[in-house]
Amino acid sequence: MREVMIGNFAIARGLVEAGLELAAAYPGTPSSEILPGIIEFKNREKLAIHAEWSTNERCALEVAFGGALAGRKAACMMKQVGLNVAFPPLLHGYAQPLKGGLVIVSCDDPGPQSSQTEQDTRLLAAHFGIPVFDPASPGEAGDIAYYAMKYSCEHKVPVIVRSTHRVSHARESIELFVPGSRKVKLDEGLKLKGKGRIGIVTSGMTCSITMDILDELNLGDKISLYKVSRVFPLGTEVIGFVNQQEKTLVLEETDVTLEALLDHGFKVLGRRSGHVPSAGELTYDIVRDIICRFANDHGISVPEFNADTSIEDALKEIQIAPRPPKLCAGCSHRASFYAMKSAFPDAVFPGDIGCYTLGISMGAVDTCLDMGGGVTFASGFYDTFAQDGTLKPILASVGDSTFFHACLTPLYDSVLKKRRFVLVIMDNSTTAMTGLQPTPQSGISADGTSTYSIKIENIIKGFGIEFLRIVDPYDIPLLLRTIKEAYEYLETESAGPAVIIARRECLLFSKIREEDTRDMARLVAECTGCKICIKTFDCPGSYFDEEKKKICIDEGLCIRCGMCYYACPTSDEGKSLKELKKVRNEKKRREGREDSKK
Amino acid sequence: MGDNKGEVEGANNFYDIQHRKYDVRKGLFAMNLQIVCAGIGGRGVLLASTIIIETAIKAGLKAMASDEYGMSQRGGSVVSLVKVGNFASPLVGRESANILLSFEESEFYRNLPFLKTGGVTLVNTSRQLLSANIERLLKKRRVQYFLLDADAIAMQKGMIQSSNMAMLGFFSAFDITPFSCDNIKETIRQKVKARLVEKNLEVFQAGYESAQSFQLSADSKNQ
Repeated sequence: MREVMIGNFAIARGLVEAGLELAAAYPGTPSSEILPGIIEFKNREKLAIHAEWSTNERCALEVAFGGALAGRKAACMMKQVGLNVAFPPLLHGYAQPLKGGLVIVSCDDPGPQSSQTEQDTRLLAAHFGIPVFDPASPGEAGDIAYYAMKYSCEHKVPVIVRSTHRVSHARESIELFVPGSRKVKLDEGLKLKGKGRIGIVTSGMTCSITMDILDELNLGDKISLYKVSRVFPLGTEVIGFVNQQEKTLVLEETDVTLEALLDHGFKVLGRRSGHVPSAGELTYDIVRDIICRFANDHGISVPEFNADTSIEDALKEIQIAPRPPKLCAGCSHRASFYAMKSAFPDAVFPGDIGCYTLGISMGAVDTCLDMGGGVTFASGFYDTFAQDGTLKPILASVGDSTFFHACLTPLYDSVLKKRRFVLVIMDNSTTAMTGLQPTPQSGISADGTSTYSIKIENIIKGFGIEFLRIVDPYDIPLLLRTIKEAYEYLETESAGPAVIIARRECLLFSKIREEDTRDMARLVAECTGCKICIKTFDCPGSYFDEEKKKICIDEGLCIRCGMCYYACPTSDEGKSLKELKKVRNEKKRREGREDSKK
Repeated sequence: MGDNKGEVEGANNFYDIQHRKYDVRKGLFAMNLQIVCAGIGGRGVLLASTIIIETAIKAGLKAMASDEYGMSQRGGSVVSLVKVGNFASPLVGRESANILLSFEESEFYRNLPFLKTGGVTLVNTSRQLLSANIERLLKKRRVQYFLLDADAIAMQKGMIQSSNMAMLGFFSAFDITPFSCDNIKETIRQKVKARLVEKNLEVFQAGYESAQSFQLSADSKNQ
């Protein structure tokens, strides 16, 4: 039987067919669909697999590791930067002989498209001495997942399967087997035998792209191609292949791994020799250019690809709407950020990782380092300002899933040290950016059954945090007043961190309720064309029509939450918010006057 | 040149590009098609590309897609690259796509560099005409283009989110093997939620019929 599926589901299928018994993961693009895939196939095949969303990647790896030590076939999944969180167990992991099997699936993000940084999992695997496989297509990813589990059981070591977004999010028809019956032979070796004495060593999706390009350029019989699937430990055949070539070009994502492992000095060309760009995704066009140059440099004449620049010339006059990543129309995070920014326009805004990182476009997120980094940054900023004897407003933000993932330790540290900042926990009851996975608060486990729910407010209270408010972010005036109130609290002698939970279900997750659908006609009718809402609210549900000189509602995107009325200076809502802002300004001005009197 | 032969031939799986060039079944795979589906999130670009590859696969062809949807949940750029035929990767290079399906006008401009000389494009827009410069460019590049107000068609049927179906309906009128009207309809029946199938097919049909008012030239039919 065959079925069209994405690479991540193919990986899930391979693992399930290999007899997987225990799976743990933390979501992160592009790895998030693997665990749901495992649950899907587990249900279909009626198997007893324990599958869970862990609180973070380290928990996921240690849970799976424990299972493997105790004799289970276990797997854990994460994205490449998630693997950093799981370093402690990974570092020493290879030295613990397993009774069962352990496959770690780590998905890299060349580009990066949805990460803070590119990172090559294969390089870390080689560094730590852990076998790593690099599939070149969704179909092969399924095979390799299956093979990796067998390999791990056989050699009693953890094994890493490294996918990239182009493999994880590609779709093709995959063959399904009865669990245990898949026959996998590692697809590695000489794929093309050229007449010349130059060759290419490649792995992963870059290998597939390279094959298509050699076909397009009719180079299939001129340049030899060696495909690597197991990057570490590297087979000896590939070294033989490189020995036979005059020059070998290495094409791989994301960093210098094969190139470093081959280590044939000047015989090997790649990133270190400047033939391959040192960063960024190896797109079809980039690989085509590299191969053209490589061929031409070595006496195989290939016409270089000349882009038709008249396309760009003609497009110059067209105003292509820029589409930076944006919060959804009607997202409650936008309302929270708007209130934060309105309350203290000059505050320091340490941010975190999730949908709400996008608050950067509203000027309400200043930093984005790593999961949980916002709270710790707020602490560092507070300590710095305190040394200078000033109390600057610090408004940190973090989402609910990231709060559980990485914020508990930094937060109780701040309680102990009485650091004065406001933490807004943007609680939308889900892990939205990676596809709506449950959080420890959701009360839902990975397979949809109900479970215990840990309330964020109970944790906050347990830490002994004195200032705690729970607010619906759609009530922007209330949130604004609450933030000001929190700051007033911070000015008292014995203050520690103040926490506001801005709670509203993610609209991708909840059915929009009747009371949230407001009449948007007034916004358009009373629009004076000042564009302030465009600048400060930045909602994709509306756009400015340059011909009519008025705001327009995008009927397909707008959910009629009406929050944008607060960003409109001529509307009643906007005016009332302005009054609220003024109160603070007057107070500040008064204080300023008193200060100058002194 | 041939002296390095012995050792490398011992490696497994000596197969591919040369092999497939002389594949006797080549007749079956004569159609190597690269399609770029471009639009914005929440408008069914990925469903459309799924329907395209599933239709091809059902017809016995090899088909792959690569999706790119960035960080936005809704409203961001979404591009799905589709390759049908004997390809190893689903990725499409500049000026290589035979067909560009633009589910939103600004995504048409953004993804125009993908379209090869002599390609075909279908654009969802309320415009009747493209700007003179763009028209000149398309003419120079021998690109056939069709402007379809798919949003209006979908809205008329009370299904604003289903403009993708109107696009597919129009696309099916090109009648490129195997993407016939009937084949795509069959895939829609399988891939769309049961309660939405009839409504979606209605929008699809409306898209298909609106193509009849265009004079589809023989060229576009046999791309």
